[in-house]
Amino acid sequence: MDLSRVQKELKDCNKDREISGIGIEANGGDLTHLSGTITGPVGTPYEGGTFLIDVRLTGGYPFEPPKMQFRTKVWHPNISSQNGAICLDILKDQWSPALTLKTALLSIQALLSAPEPDDPQDAVVAHQYLRDHATFVATARYWTEAFAKRVTVGIEEKVQKLVEMGFPENSVRKALEIVNGDENMALEKLCSG
Amino acid sequence: MEEKTAKEPPTKVEDQTLDSMDDTGDDEIDKAFQCFICLDLFYKPVVLACGHVSCFWCAHMSMSGWVQHSHCPICRQTYNHFPSICELLHLLLLKTHPVVYKRREKQVLEEEKKNECFSPQLVDGLMTKTEHGLAENALENGTSEQISITDVLCTACKKMLFRPAVLNCGHVYCEDCVHTLVNGVLRCQVCQSCHPGGFPKVCLVLDNFLEEHFPEEYAQRKDAVQLRQQHARHAGPSTCESQNEKGSTKSARKDGLLRTNGIVTEFAAHIGVGCDSCGVFPMMGKRYKCKDCMESIGFDLCGDCYESRSKLPGRFNQQHTPDHRSWHEHGED
Repeated sequence: MDLSRVQKELKDCNKDREISGIGIEANGGDLTHLSGTITGPVGTPYEGGTFLIDVRLTGGYPFEPPKMQFRTKVWHPNISSQNGAICLDILKDQWSPALTLKTALLSIQALLSAPEPDDPQDAVVAHQYLRDHATFVATARYWTEAFAKRVTVGIEEKVQKLVEMGFPENSVRKALEIVNGDENMALEKLCSG
Repeated sequence: MEEKTAKEPPTKVEDQTLDSMDDTGDDEIDKAFQCFICLDLFYKPVVLACGHVSCFWCAHMSMSGWVQHSHCPICRQTYNHFPSICELLHLLLLKTHPVVYKRREKQVLEEEKKNECFSPQLVDGLMTKTEHGLAENALENGTSEQISITDVLCTACKKMLFRPAVLNCGHVYCEDCVHTLVNGVLRCQVCQSCHPGGFPKVCLVLDNFLEEHFPEEYAQRKDAVQLRQQHARHAGPSTCESQNEKGSTKSARKDGLLRTNGIVTEFAAHIGVGCDSCGVFPMMGKRYKCKDCMESIGFDLCGDCYESRSKLPGRFNQQHTPDHRSWHEHGED
């Protein structure tokens, strides 16, 4: 994989993070497993939410598309409500090596604004979107409130909290890193050993 | 050329950290000369028929060797022929970005060694001793070479390029001059190779560079060309247009033979194998493989190029010579 390109992309993307609402970070030093964040587009049921997206790069990147999946639960016709799988052509056969992680995340952000219920990933959501739009909007908004608006506590505070529970600091940091800073999931992980 | 290692993605040093970014000389790269694929300075640039530029390896890796059509990564225009390196652009980059270009050379060579598959070494063309000398001097002084008009002349009219278009063989002509090359087929007057498909589009990377670096000359050329076009319009249908039509119908007909519903129906493709003469990739129909070329990538010709006794060197760094006379014929398998 072209690691130097990935490094450039990360640097470039995070330059205008505030404006674009798109961010990407490496999980530790691993450049094949990244975490993307997108902010929910204004004027949609996703407004105000911050959505985490799991990004995995195969050895063929950028000649093969990155594998992207929502980590934050989201109610959308083209995103699986079960596992966060995304139905988007540029992440499949329409990928081009001139696209980047940032443009891919921007496309996902655009997908949030413009669902394609005729080409669904989640049939239940798509059905609701077409038949009972008001309920769809309400559900999507509720999911945004419930899952995409976690108060962002600094990582050090989370570490401290978990250490106070009696877990060793090293394992806490590792667990938090794996689950991308999600406190509850880290706790689960630590408890399960 | 047979693809073996090429699709194997180049692996780079694993322990590079995010902080090591700063010493790659990023800031010296002109955005205009940044490859859309590796996001680095173009190295051994090739120009597709749509006019978009990328590095030799970036273009090769972007092509699909198993379906008939490849798509330009930028505009998605379909194409079937891997272009040769544009030596004019190569020289421009070497002169304008001597330090970064040298770094790219080193970096790419290392990867090529790893993959045991090399891009053409431009020894007979531009990278002669004097050019190396020039670049090295520039490296020492840390300055870029002055580009002169003589570096950017049209192959046909010998004037400064105006709205340059690059043929599949890598030779550069003014857009208007390309039209004068057509005689049944579009053939380069330097290397005599046929340009596949219709007319190539203007290479804007090069055009913008010319307009910026030689504003006066560019304006003069523009006026002259416009004046000529006006005259031509008054004198009835221009020769250019009639040639244009002739050229495009011809190429469309030629393509029609191979393009049926976008899927290969009349000929089977030789998956991952391209012609070293015309660059078609993957190859259709008959395939001739040189038995004397020992490079792992091999030296292959398509039926047409074999019959026309192509004398062109390989698309990669094969040491194929006209003395190599034994061929292995693969049928339309």
